[in-house]
Amino acid sequence: MSRVVDRARGRVETGPGPSAVRVDDDGITALSEDEAVLDVLVDERRIFSFWLHRDGEQRGREWHVGWPRTLQEFLVGTGRVAVVVHESGERVFDETVRLGGGDQPLAIVHPRTGQPLSLDKSWRRVVTFDTRTEQNIAPLMDAVQVVLDALREAGIEAFLAYGTLLGAVREGRLLGHDSDADLGYVSALSHPVDVIRESYRVQRALVDLGYRITRYSALAFKVDVEEGDGVVRGLDVFGGFLMDGHLHLMGEVREPFERSWIFPLGTTTLEGRTFPAPADPDRLLSAMYGAQWRTPDPAFHFSTPPSTYRRLNGWFRGLRVGRARWDRIYSRVLKGVPDPSPFVRWVAEREPDVASFVDLGCGRGADVLEMARRGVPSLGLDFQPRSFARAEARAEQEGLAGARFQTLNLLEMRQLLVIGAQLARLPAPRVVVARHLVDTLKRPARTRLWRLARMATVGPAGSPAGRFHVEFLAKAGDDGYAGRHRVRRRRAAMIVKEIEAAGGTVVHREDVEVSQSPDASRLCRLVVEWRQ
Amino acid sequence: MAAVLGKLGDRDPRALVRRVREARADVREVRELRERVQRLEAEVQECRALNVRLAELTDVVTELLLPVASRDEERLAALLERYRTSV
Repeated sequence: MSRVVDRARGRVETGPGPSAVRVDDDGITALSEDEAVLDVLVDERRIFSFWLHRDGEQRGREWHVGWPRTLQEFLVGTGRVAVVVHESGERVFDETVRLGGGDQPLAIVHPRTGQPLSLDKSWRRVVTFDTRTEQNIAPLMDAVQVVLDALREAGIEAFLAYGTLLGAVREGRLLGHDSDADLGYVSALSHPVDVIRESYRVQRALVDLGYRITRYSALAFKVDVEEGDGVVRGLDVFGGFLMDGHLHLMGEVREPFERSWIFPLGTTTLEGRTFPAPADPDRLLSAMYGAQWRTPDPAFHFSTPPSTYRRLNGWFRGLRVGRARWDRIYSRVLKGVPDPSPFVRWVAEREPDVASFVDLGCGRGADVLEMARRGVPSLGLDFQPRSFARAEARAEQEGLAGARFQTLNLLEMRQLLVIGAQLARLPAPRVVVARHLVDTLKRPARTRLWRLARMATVGPAGSPAGRFHVEFLAKAGDDGYAGRHRVRRRRAAMIVKEIEAAGGTVVHREDVEVSQSPDASRLCRLVVEWRQ
Repeated sequence: MAAVLGKLGDRDPRALVRRVREARADVREVRELRERVQRLEAEVQECRALNVRLAELTDVVTELLLPVASRDEERLAALLERYRTSV
C-alpha cells in the first residue's frame, strides 16, 4: 500500500499502490510515498524489475527510474508495456507505448540467437528461466546433478545455494527471474589457507574428470557443463567454512552459524527432482537474503556488511582484477586478428637466432602468428582466453603448428610459477616480449611480470638463456594513441628501476615516436637480461 | 553558536580561548584517528592477502617438489603440463 500526499487538502491518503505511472523514452515515472518493487513487462514478458525509491530519483513528488543502459539498444519500436507491483500482481500501468519513434514491434531478444532477453537483479542481460521451456530446464537439472556428483567424488558434500536454493525451498522451482544455478559447500576445514588449498584440490579433481573450470576467487569457481541440448552452461560453486562461530560463504555471507544447521545435509525439491540442501535451509536463506526471504523480490540487492566484504576480499579475492573490462573489450571492440606490430619486426631483426618466442599479454595474437610464420616456435599467453581465440583458429587453418596459445593470469602465483618453469625448458635462446602490457598492469602485477620474464630468460653471466623485450607508452601525446591502445603512460625511469630491483639489466633502450604530430606519443623499448 | 560563545566570552575570555583550542585539538585528533583507521584497514587487508599467497606456494611445493627431486625429466615435463592445465 502506498500513501499519496494530497497537498491541496494537506492530508495523507492511503492509495492502492504506485499511481500516476507514465512510461516514455526517459523511463518510468510514478507517484508512491512507500517503496515498491515493480516489474516491467513488454508484450506480457517480464523484462526487468526495480525498487522505485532505491533505484530511482525523486523529481518533485514523483519518482523516476530511467531505462537501464543494458536495454537501451532495444527500445525503438511499439509494444504493450505493463508495470506490475511484484508482490500483489496489480497492474499500475498497461498501455501500448511507442519508444524511440519506432513503429516496428519492440523486440528484446539476443541479436544473434534471437533468444528472449531480460535483465537480472543487477540489470545484466540474461536468458532467464521464465522464458525457458521444460525441455530447456531438464538439461540444466541434469548438469546440477552431474556437478554435485563430481564434487562428491572429489570429497565435497555440496548443496543448492543462493537463488537456486531459494527457488527450491520457496517455490519448488527455479526462480523465473534467475538465470543460473548455484551450488555451495561448507568445508570441514576452518582456516582460509586450508580451505583455499582444498578448493585447488577440488579444482584438480574436476579437471581430471574432464570439466573446464574458471576460477572467480581462491574459494569460488565455475564449472562448465555441456547440457544435453548442446548448450555449455556454467554452474557456480561457492566454497564456505566455519570459523570463530561464523559461517563464511562466498560470495556474500558471514553470519553466526552452527555446523548442525548445515550437516547432516537434508534434501529439497527443485523442478520435481530431489537435491541436497542444508539441514536447516531457513537459517542459510536468512543469512543470504535476510529474514524476509519468503517474500519474492526479483530486484533484490545484497546488502552485505562492509566487514564481510573486507574479510572475503582480503582472504580470497583479487585474482581477476580488470578481467570484466577486458572481457567486454575483446567481445565487443577488438575482434579479428590485426597486422603484426612494428615492434615484433624490430625484435625479429635484433634476434635472428631466436629458438623460442614467447609473447606475454599477447592479446589478439598477431605477433605470435608472425613469428610462427617466420619459422620460430611461438607461444602466446594472455589472461583473457577470448583475446587469442581467432588467432588460434587461424593458426590451425594455416597449419601453423609453431603457434600455440595458453591462458596466463599473472595474479595467480600457481600459474606464474608453473608456466615460468615450462618457459625455462623451451629451447634457447628464448625471446620473451611484452608489448603494451607494462602500461596496462599495475605495480603488483608488474612485479609478477618481471619474475616470469626472469624465470624464462635467466642464464649464466655472459650467456643468458634469452632476452626480454618490452614496449610501453612513455609519453602520451595529442595523437590519441593512449586511448586507442587502452594504455597509460609509464615513466621509463620508474620501469627501469623496477626491472633493476628485480635483478634485471637493461642492455638496450630506444624511444620511438608513433606519429608526425608535434606532440607525438612516444614508446619506450627496453631489452633486458637476467644473469645468474 | 554565537550566543553560546558570547555567553562564554562574557564569563571568561581565557576560558573561551581554551575551549576553542581544545575543540581544534579534538578535530585534529579525529582526523588523525580516521586516517590511522584507514591505514590500519589497508594493512589488515595486506595481511589477509597472505592467505592466498601461502596456499598457492604450498600447493605448488606439495604438487611439484617431490617429482622435481626425483630428477625424472620426462615425468616432470608431463607433471608440469598437468599442473598447468589444472590451475
